[in-house]
Parts: sequence; C-alpha cells; structure tokens
Amino acid sequence: MIGLDALVGLALLTVLVMFALGSRVWAGWAGLLLYALQLGILVAAGADLSAGDGVLTSSLSLAILGNELRWEMSGLGWYFAVITVGAALFTSWYAAGEWGRAQPGMRLFHTALAANVLAMLVLLASADLLSLFIGWELVSWASYLIMTQRGGPAAAAAYRYLLYAMAGAMAILGGLVLVQVELGTLGFAAVRDGLAGAPDGFVWAVMLLLGAGFAVKMALVPFHLWQGEAYGETPGPAAAFLGAISSRMGLFALLIVLVDLIGLARLMEMAIPYTFLDARDLWAWMAAITIIVPTFVALTQNDARMLLAWHGIGQGGYMLLGLMVGTPMGAAGGLLHVFNYASYQAPLFLVVTAVAHRTGTADLDRLGGLITRMPLSYVTMLLGIIGLAGLPPMNGFVSKWLVYKSLLDAQMPLLFVAAVVGTLGTILSVYKLIHNTFLGQLRMEHAGIREVPWSMTAPMLLLGALAFISGFFPGLALDAVDVAQRALGVELLPHHLGGVYTATGSLNMLWVVGVLLAAIGVGALIFYFGGNRSYHTHQLDNYAGGHFLTSKVQYHYSHDFYAGLMRLIRPWYRGSVQWAERGLVSLANLLGTTMHGFYRTAYTPIYLLVAVFIGLWMAVAS
Amino acid sequence: MDLTELIVEILVMPMIAFLVGLVLVLMMRKVRARVERRIGPPFLQPLYDIIKLYSKHTQISHGVMMDIAVIMVLGGVITMEVFLPVPGMNGLALQGDLLTLIYLMMVPSLGLALGVGACANPNGSIGISRALTAMLAYDVPFIIAVAGVSISYGTTSLPEMIAIQQAQGVQSWGVASVPLLALAGIIAMHAMLGKEPFEIYVAPAEIATGPMVEMSGKYLGTLFVMQSFQLYAIGVLYTNLFLGGGENWLTFLVKVFAVVFVSVAVTNVFPRYKTDDVLRWLWKWPTGIALAGLAVVMLNA
Amino acid sequence: MTDPLDSIIRQAQELTLLLIVVPLLAAFLLASLSRASELLGRIAGPVVLIASALMAGQLWLLVQRTGTVVVAVGGFPAPLGIVLHADPLGVVFALATALMALLLWPRGGPRVREQTLTLLLVAAGSGMALSGDLFNLYVFYEIVAVVSYGLAAGRDRGLAYVAAVRYLILGAVGSAMALIGIGLLYRATGTLNLAHMAALAPGTLDGPLGLAAFTLMVIGFGVKAELFPVNTWVPEVYATASARVSGLLAGVVSKLALVVVVRVLITVFADTSAHLVLLALGLLSVVSGELAALRANDLWRVLAYSSIGQLGLVAIAFAVPGAPGVMAGLVVALHHLVVKPALFLVAESWGGPVSQLAGAGRRSPWAALLFVILVLSLIGVPPFPGFWAKYLLLRGALGQSGLFQVAAAAVGVATVVEAAYLFRIVRLLYRADGERALASRPPAADLVPATVLASVLLVAMFSVAPLGVAVDGIARRASDVGAYVQAVFPAGVPAAFAREAP
Repeated sequence: MIGLDALVGLALLTVLVMFALGSRVWAGWAGLLLYALQLGILVAAGADLSAGDGVLTSSLSLAILGNELRWEMSGLGWYFAVITVGAALFTSWYAAGEWGRAQPGMRLFHTALAANVLAMLVLLASADLLSLFIGWELVSWASYLIMTQRGGPAAAAAYRYLLYAMAGAMAILGGLVLVQVELGTLGFAAVRDGLAGAPDGFVWAVMLLLGAGFAVKMALVPFHLWQGEAYGETPGPAAAFLGAISSRMGLFALLIVLVDLIGLARLMEMAIPYTFLDARDLWAWMAAITIIVPTFVALTQNDARMLLAWHGIGQGGYMLLGLMVGTPMGAAGGLLHVFNYASYQAPLFLVVTAVAHRTGTADLDRLGGLITRMPLSYVTMLLGIIGLAGLPPMNGFVSKWLVYKSLLDAQMPLLFVAAVVGTLGTILSVYKLIHNTFLGQLRMEHAGIREVPWSMTAPMLLLGALAFISGFFPGLALDAVDVAQRALGVELLPHHLGGVYTATGSLNMLWVVGVLLAAIGVGALIFYFGGNRSYHTHQLDNYAGGHFLTSKVQYHYSHDFYAGLMRLIRPWYRGSVQWAERGLVSLANLLGTTMHGFYRTAYTPIYLLVAVFIGLWMAVAS
Repeated sequence: MDLTELIVEILVMPMIAFLVGLVLVLMMRKVRARVERRIGPPFLQPLYDIIKLYSKHTQISHGVMMDIAVIMVLGGVITMEVFLPVPGMNGLALQGDLLTLIYLMMVPSLGLALGVGACANPNGSIGISRALTAMLAYDVPFIIAVAGVSISYGTTSLPEMIAIQQAQGVQSWGVASVPLLALAGIIAMHAMLGKEPFEIYVAPAEIATGPMVEMSGKYLGTLFVMQSFQLYAIGVLYTNLFLGGGENWLTFLVKVFAVVFVSVAVTNVFPRYKTDDVLRWLWKWPTGIALAGLAVVMLNA
Repeated sequence: MTDPLDSIIRQAQELTLLLIVVPLLAAFLLASLSRASELLGRIAGPVVLIASALMAGQLWLLVQRTGTVVVAVGGFPAPLGIVLHADPLGVVFALATALMALLLWPRGGPRVREQTLTLLLVAAGSGMALSGDLFNLYVFYEIVAVVSYGLAAGRDRGLAYVAAVRYLILGAVGSAMALIGIGLLYRATGTLNLAHMAALAPGTLDGPLGLAAFTLMVIGFGVKAELFPVNTWVPEVYATASARVSGLLAGVVSKLALVVVVRVLITVFADTSAHLVLLALGLLSVVSGELAALRANDLWRVLAYSSIGQLGLVAIAFAVPGAPGVMAGLVVALHHLVVKPALFLVAESWGGPVSQLAGAGRRSPWAALLFVILVLSLIGVPPFPGFWAKYLLLRGALGQSGLFQVAAAAVGVATVVEAAYLFRIVRLLYRADGERALASRPPAADLVPATVLASVLLVAMFSVAPLGVAVDGIARRASDVGAYVQAVFPAGVPAAFAREAP
C-alpha cells in the first residue's frame, strides 16, 4: 500500500515544481495532474482505511527535547485530506486556462496553493499535540501567503488574519505546554487517558486554551471578524480554495480536542458554575450564534465575494453544531456538511470570479441580467445556491437534515430553531446573489460579454454535478464519512445508498429526488402540451404602466434588495465584537505609546537612586 | 406496501390534491363574495379559469428560465403532495419526514422567485423580495411550532404522528395537547398562504401584483394551479399535525375545509401590513406564543 | 590512568588562559602593527579571532572529556587567589563571542580604533564567561563596559556621541551599584570566590541582605543586559551606532552580562527567592520593550526595542529555577545571539523613517528573504529554532506557579505584538504599489555575514534533536552547584574567614 510518505513527498514535489515552473503557461495543467495523482493516492489509501481501524503511518519520527513527534493519518485526517486535494485540483484547473493567462504573478499563486496543500497534509497527519501545533503553524502561514500574494486590500485583511492567528497560536501553545507539564506527554492516546483522570479545572483550562486557538481559524464567533474580508478579497480561485477547506482545518483540530481527547461525555459533565449549562452547551451555542450572526451580516453585503465569505463563516457553525449533539446522526451530519459545503461553495466562488473576470466587478449593485450572456455560469450558480440554501435535491439538504433531525431527537429545540433561522437567512441572501447577478435587467455595458471558456466552466459544472450526485446518492458520501467518524471514536450512523432510515422519521433521497425529477417531467409535459406555444419577447419588453422603455432606462431592482428587513434589523446590529476588537487595538496602541514615551523621557538616574535606597535599606535592616 | 401500490399512490395523490384544491379555491372566492354581499362564482369556475388561461393564444415568455421556473413550480407542488399523508394513502411519507416536507414546500417558491427574476421587471423583483422577507417572518413561529410538536410526539414522521393522535383520541390531538403551538401554527400558516394582512408581496395596487406582473396565459394558469395545491397542502398539514389527521375521507375533508375556512374568512376583514410591520408582528406575537408553547413541551418532556 | 588526563587538563588550563590573553595582546599590538604594515594590520584581527575560535572549540572538546577545568591564576589557590572556571556554559559563550566578533568585524577601510576595541571586547568577554571570582568578573565587566562606550560612540555623528554619553552615565551608575552589591556579598560571606560563596551561601545569604545584594547586582549588570528599568539607553545607541556595533552590543555583550547575573543566581542564590527578582525585571522588560516597538518609527529602533523584549524573555527563562531554566535561557539567548546581529546587518542601509522602506524588498530580494526568515524565527514560528526557544521557555514557566504563569501569558501577548510590528515592516518591504523605495540597497558586505548567520539558523533547524541533547547537558552541568564547588575545591571547602564582630 502506498503510504503517507509517498503522499507527502508528492505534495512536496508539487511545491518545488510550482516554484520552479509556476510562471509557465501550462503550470495550471501540471498542477492539475499532480493534484490528481495525490487524490489518487488518497482514494487508494481510503480503501485500506475503511477496511479496518487503520491509519496511514509515516516513517518519519523525531525525538526532540524529550518529545516524540510522529505523523500518521487517521480516517478523520484522510477525509479532510480528500476534500483539500480535491479543492486544490479544481482550483488549479480553473486557473490553468484563460484566467491564469490574464493574471500577473501566477508563479506565486501556484506555489502558495501547493504549499497550502502540503501544510494541510502535514497537519492532517499529526499523531501528537506537538506535531499538530507545528502543522497548524505551517497551515496558518501558508494561508497568509496565499491571501497576501497579490497585495492590495487582501493583504490588509491578511495582516489582520495574521494577528488573530498568532494570538490563537499562542493560546494553543500555552494549552499544549500545560498538558505536557501536567501529564508529562503529548501523544494523543496518552493525553486522552491523562485527561480522563484529570480534575475539571485543568480540563477547562486546556479546553478553553486549545479550543479558542483552533476556533480562531474556524472563525467561530467571537473570533470571526477576520475571515469575511480575508477570504472575500483574495483574488480569484484562491478564494474558492480557502473558502472550501481552509477554515475547516480549525474544525479538524477542534474535533480532535473536543471529541477525541476530552470526549463529549466529559464535556457534558463539566458544568459552568452558576448556570445550568455545561461545556458542551457552550460550544453548541457558540456554533449556533456562528450560524445566525454571520448569515445576517452576509445579508447586508453588496459585494458578491464578501457575501459568500460571510456565508462560509456561518456554515462552519452547522458542522460544529452537528458534532456537539453527540449522536451518530449529528456527527455524521456535521462531518458530511464539510464535504457538501466544499462541493457547493467552491463553484459559487468560481462563478463569481468568472463574472468578475468578464465584467470587471463583483459589486451586486452594478450587475444584472447576465443569464442571457453567461448561461453556463448561471446554471452553476443555481446549483450552488440551492446547495447553500440546503434545499432538495442538492447535497446541502442531506447534511442539514441530519443535523436538524439529530437536534430534535436529542430534544434541543432552541438550537434547532437557531439552525433553521440560519437557513432562512441563507435563502434570502443567496436569492439576492443570483438575482442581482444573473436575473433582472442586463446593463448596457455588459451587453457584449461572452461566457467564460471551457477551462473555467468545466470545473464549475463538474463541481455542481458532484453536489447534485452526492445529493441524489448521499450514501456514497456517507461511506466516506464513516471512515472519519470511526476514527473519531463516535458510533457509526447506519445508512443506505439513498439516505437514512430511523423509526422516527427517515430520509430517502432516491425517492425524493426521483419523484422531484419525475414531477418536473410531468410538469414539463403539462406545460408544453397543455397550452399553446409561448413566444419569447425582448428582455426590455416589460410592463411599465404604459410607458415605453428604452435601454437607457435602468429598470432594475437590485440596490438594498431587502429594504424592509434591513430597516428592522440594522439597528439591532451593534457591532459589539468589532467594538471589542477596536478596543483591544486601541489599548495596545495606548500602552505602546506609554512605553515608547517612557523610553524617550525616562529619568533613569531617579530609578537607580530609588533602587539603591531600597537596597541599602534592606541591607541595613537585615 | 409493495412498489405497484406505491406507484399508484404517487399518481393518485396529486390528482386528489388538485381536485380538492380547486374546491378550496372555490370556497375562498365564495366566502369573499358573501362577505362582500355577492353571490360568487359557479362551482367549476376555478377549473374554467385554468383552462381559459392555458388555452390563450398569446403566451408571452421572458426567456427559457421563466419556462423552466414555472415547470419547477409545477413539479415542486406535485412532489410536495406525494409526501403528505392522507387517509388510506401514506405515499412517500415514510421515505421523507416532516422536515423534508417543509423544505420541499420551499422548492416551488424558489422556482417562482427565479422565474420572476427572469422576467426582468422590478415590480416582480420587489414582490419576491417582500415574499422572501415574509417567509423569514412566518417561518420562525412555524419552525418553533414544528419543533415543539416533534418533541411532543417524539417523532418527525407524519404517519406516526397521525397514528399517535388517532390511537389516543381527541385529548392527544395537537389543539388539545399543545394548544399554544396550535395557535401559533394557524397564524403562521395563514401568513404562509400570503393572505391579508400578510399579502404585501402581492400588493396589487402598489407593485402591480408583484410576482405576477409579467405572468399571463399558461404561466398565470400554473400559478393558479400552485395556489390550489398550496391551499390543500397547508390545510392537510395543519390537520395532520394538530387535528389528528382523518380516519376516513369524510372527517378528514371536514377538518381541512375548516382550517382553510378560518384562514380565508379572516383574510377578508384585514388591510395589509408593511414589510417591516409583518416582520415585527410575526416575530412578536406568534413567536412569543410558540416559545411559550415550546417551554411547556420541554417542561413536560 | 591519570597521566594522560593530567596532560589534557593542563592543556585545557593553558587554553583557558590563552583565550583571554591572546586577544588582549593583539588588541594592544594592533595599532603599532597597522602602522608598520597595512596588510598586517588588516588581517591581524581576523587571524587572532579565528585562532581564538579554534582554541575555544578545542577547549570545548577537552572540557567534554575531562569535566570542568579550573585554573588558579598565578598559582595562588582559591579562595584567596583568582580562579578561572571553564565549564561548558562559559566555553560556549567564549566561542560565541569570538565567532560573532569575527562575523561583525568592522569594515570600511582602516578602522584601527574599532578593531582594537573589538579585540578587547573578545578578551574581556571571554574573561567574563570563564571567570570564577567576583572581583575578576567585575574587572572584566568594566573593560567590556568601557569598550562598549567607545564602540557606541564610534560613528562620527553627534547623535552617536549623545547616545553614548547617556549610555556611559547609566553604565557608570550601574557599575557602581553592582559594586555595592558585590560589597554586600563580601560583607556577608567574607569571600569573593564564587564557589566559596556558594558553599557558604545557605546560612548567610538567605535573608533580605542577600536579596538586596542580588537586586543591586541585577540592576547594575542589567544595564548591559538591557533589563528594565536601566535599558533606556538601548534605543538611542542602536539607532545611531553602526549595524555591526549594534549587533555586537545586542547579541554578545547583553548575553555576557546576563550570563554573569545567571552565574551568580544559579551558584550562590540557587534556592532563594532571588529568582523572582530576575523574573519581575524580565517580565517588565518584555512588556515595555515589545509594546514600545509598536510605536517606533525607524527600523533600527524597532530592532532595538525588540532586543529589549527578547532579553526580557531570556531573563524570564533563566529565572525558572533548576536545570530546565538554564536550558531554556541558554537556547533563547543563543537564538537571539544569532538572529539579532543578522537582522541588524540586513537592516544596515534600511534606517530612517519606516515609510521609506516601501517596496525595498523588491529591489533587494535576497535581503528581504533573509529578513523574513530571521523575523519568522524571532517570532517563534515552527520549524525555526526560535519556536523551540519559546517552547522551552513556556515549558519552564508554566511548570512553576504564581508570577511565572503571569510571565508565560505575557510572553504569549508579546509574541502577538512582535508579529504585529515586524510584519508591518515586511508588508512595507513587499509593497508593490507606490513610489520606489528611497532606502538604499544593502551592500553585499553586510549580506554575506547575515547569510552565514541565517544558514547557521537553518542548520540548527534541521539538527534540533542533537542540539537539544547537547544544551541539556550544558544546562545540567551548569546548575549543579555541588559539582561547581567540587571542581574549585577538590579537597574540601575552607571555613569562612573570621570577621570582626558586627
């Protein structure tokens, strides 16, 4: 069996190839080939992993400063690795053709992408806390590189990310060192046993430090402020890659700490003093707030990329919420959502990039009516938004259904309501996205644009088709989720090809999607044969109360699309987390000015005199 | 239940839904007429209207997407009916539960929204924007009610909920066991039908009927069909959740008509709320009632 | 067989003496040599330094075999005579001093004065590292102090003179305080020999007198070690001196001063609360230095404040009691010793307002790359050695309770602040838009030693495991007070000298 060494070696080779040859025209195709090879290795390894309790081991192991560092990829890491390499594959494919030719600095783009994949593979293959931290830092800095490569507003957002990431990293390092000092070891198995016997206070400290650090990457509220701009401003398909999988690295590490090392049973025992909540509730509610608040912030966005980036933050909440429920169904729903989300978020970002490539803007107030000019992009966006909204027949519905059902079965109705409210907000927001971009009236300046070439539409459509197929046959993706769930130590969810059967309510997507398609077929029959032929009018031939419309009249409703809702909601948005962030920055600047002033004007001899006086007094007093 | 029976049910259930829906539309128009001291249309008028619209000579379309969207609407409502259990026919309700049904009910609305967008008329877009906002408003109490009901019955499978209510008699019906949730549910479902005071998304005199502004001919006819299916679906869903389903078609239809009657009667005496007032009202009263009902359920659970 | 061992010990003793004497002699002869022949004057210094480095290396190997080597200067035995004590810790710093002086050798024409001072620095630095007697230590410290004043004023600029005078005043007062502290120690124990003091310490230096003496010494030596509150000279001197001088002061002199304090701490004050004094001052240095760097507007000043912060880290690390503390402190100190001079070298021509640096990295990509690598290691990003340094520091600090945990939290916050101001500069370097950078390109003469230091860093990165074992050995040997005393007094500790009745 091809092992972990081959995979990481191939990833390293990809980085070197991209660094050397990344500015060539065919660099994107080379990247596609290399990522496909990596994916092939992973899929082949997956067959071995699902057979038993297997792990992919690496032959590299270091003993440094009394710690043993090892690397091995469990089923959980494998699952995330497949998504990572897949996302990189589609990103590289998209950038291989016309888009890449039109951009400067593609060498840095390709190198940064390959470096990200390598760093993520190293992180996903860690077998003890120290190698986890090393992989974590590599991933953080690789993400910074890919965000900042082009400069401009993305670099400013990336700098903000850097500060958040360093703060998180210091929290993780603190937690890690605490574990080592108390338990004497950092290997996962030993730490699991050690934490089982440790007192609650210690487990709280470790959970908060490690959890907060990983939550920064995952953009859980209140550590989420950096991700909107950072992912939204990153140019091109790199945003698709980041949005699809980068923040899920935080989820991976958080799952290891919360579900694997500490365990949900222990979390439910750790009560927060003076309340009726426990640690598990804390995380579940943080996830729920992460679902709601960023989704409604996305509603206020006018830039398509920022809208998608904010939705990305919100969807992460579903994943954590499902896993915090503790039942096999919830865990399966949360893990499946990672894959589903990647499969529809990536094409959405790619479509928005395509639109921006053709029209020069991603501002929703300056677009409209592109459906006649870019129909394939429209189809992709349609598939993507149905998935993002979580409606049948796409795969987003399946994972959300699993999360909802598990919440109801576990009798947590408020969290269920919070999750559904998030979905409702998402539906509103994605409709605005597709309406303002593709529907409505076409602008005069966009009348001549063409569809993007096949090198860009093929990966988008393929991803959309992947989302549809994994929605039609959710059992396929659930088999992969099984591998991850087993490695996490959670019971498996019994499922079949079409979905899940339980005594209190089932889901069989084969029937749902099948009947939906059949009904649409019947509807088409009724529609086409039941009435007379329809005659297609010109796009500007609209009802206007008797007034003649010309192309100069902007007969399009897009600005402030949800005016009524915003009138109600906008005053509720206090920006408290932003206020807290600004407060911290001001505090740091104030302290900095104070210290700087001290160093410029300190009259040190006075201090010395005081010290001498104290010293002599102590000496005389002895 | 073998496959052929299932196929038969899949074919029959939408037909029944359509026919009963037509009668519900008739009831709606008759009630309005009586309130306005008129007689109202004859019995087959809803059917005549649909046939008339479909057979119009001029059918104007604003693009392929508009056609596809209307087909999506039709397909979505047909699918919806198959998952809605009625006396004697469970259909696919065992393959997709209450949550699936709720989301399937959103598919026709999404299709309509896409089609209206393709019409490129800002009146339509405004209407859809208001419709979606109203959806956000009424779905909150609705979801709370659904959550409470599921936890109260311990299942999300509709046939099972019906079976529990029928087995344990009237005191286990939703209106008796979770009255607050039933009250919130009826208000939310009334808003779901888009009837006054929540019909801001249509607003005929303000935005030229909103989503329907560019719809004529068979497009409008399909929307009529959608309306009849929707009345039926809402009535049946409420009956199944809160009124114990129906042991036979007679009692069942009486309950369904009663539910829809409440809605169409109330609608005649109200003006229209503005969009943010819709939000404010629906997020205050029905939501509050639903939360209170949910608290009662959780305390008893 | 004791005979071969004896010859090895004798060889080691000779090397110890030569390490101090050779550079000293060379320093005094340099002026006349360069007047006699320019070529000889130019190569004499580097040759001497290479020889010193080789001698230090040889001494290291010998000390590994024989254990600590003690030299009684002039044949007078301890505790009356002066002893030189060559243990691995001291030899490492002597070696480092010689190597860094070689890399940072003054350039740009005949600079006899600076070269002389540098050689004196090497001699006195080795003496500080290898000394076993407080009096001797103080003398060498004073030599280092005077040399550093001279080096600081080296550049012919008025600002440099002002900064050097400020440094001189602080240093002089500090030296006086250190002397008072040493005097207090002498009053309490009646001896100035470190080993003798260590043996006599338990009864006499436990109380407030010992603490006061230590505090005075820390503040006194802390002037060179850039400890709060006597480090106000640092920004001005580093901003006006040449890069190589700043590198020497920040990299070498500060470490030597801190090693002196640490030597006293771990031999004489091993089990007392003196650790907390060093911890408190280190904590204040970290906080004040890193925060002040946020507002600095000139790359040299930024590096100066960063140096203050990093030395605070070293102080916190050494304040952790026991061998783990010495190990952590040693790693942090050596890491900073490599990185900070390299940073100063790269930034030699990048002085002035920071806004001038916009786009400078695109004009000199190699310098920018070096800068990024060094900055990443300074912040503590794995897999660079700086990460292992911070890791050891946190491991030591979190293993203790109370103020140590506060210090650990402060280290975490300080790292974030470091990343903020250093990457602000990196972003400026790589900025693509805007006008071309006004700062000039770093010359190759500066980049070559910086590259050498960066390669040392990378080599260390790949050999962390064996280096860790070696440093662990050094730390254990250094914190073993019994072995220290045993090496100096193999026949037993003499009784305390009689003192007049108080």
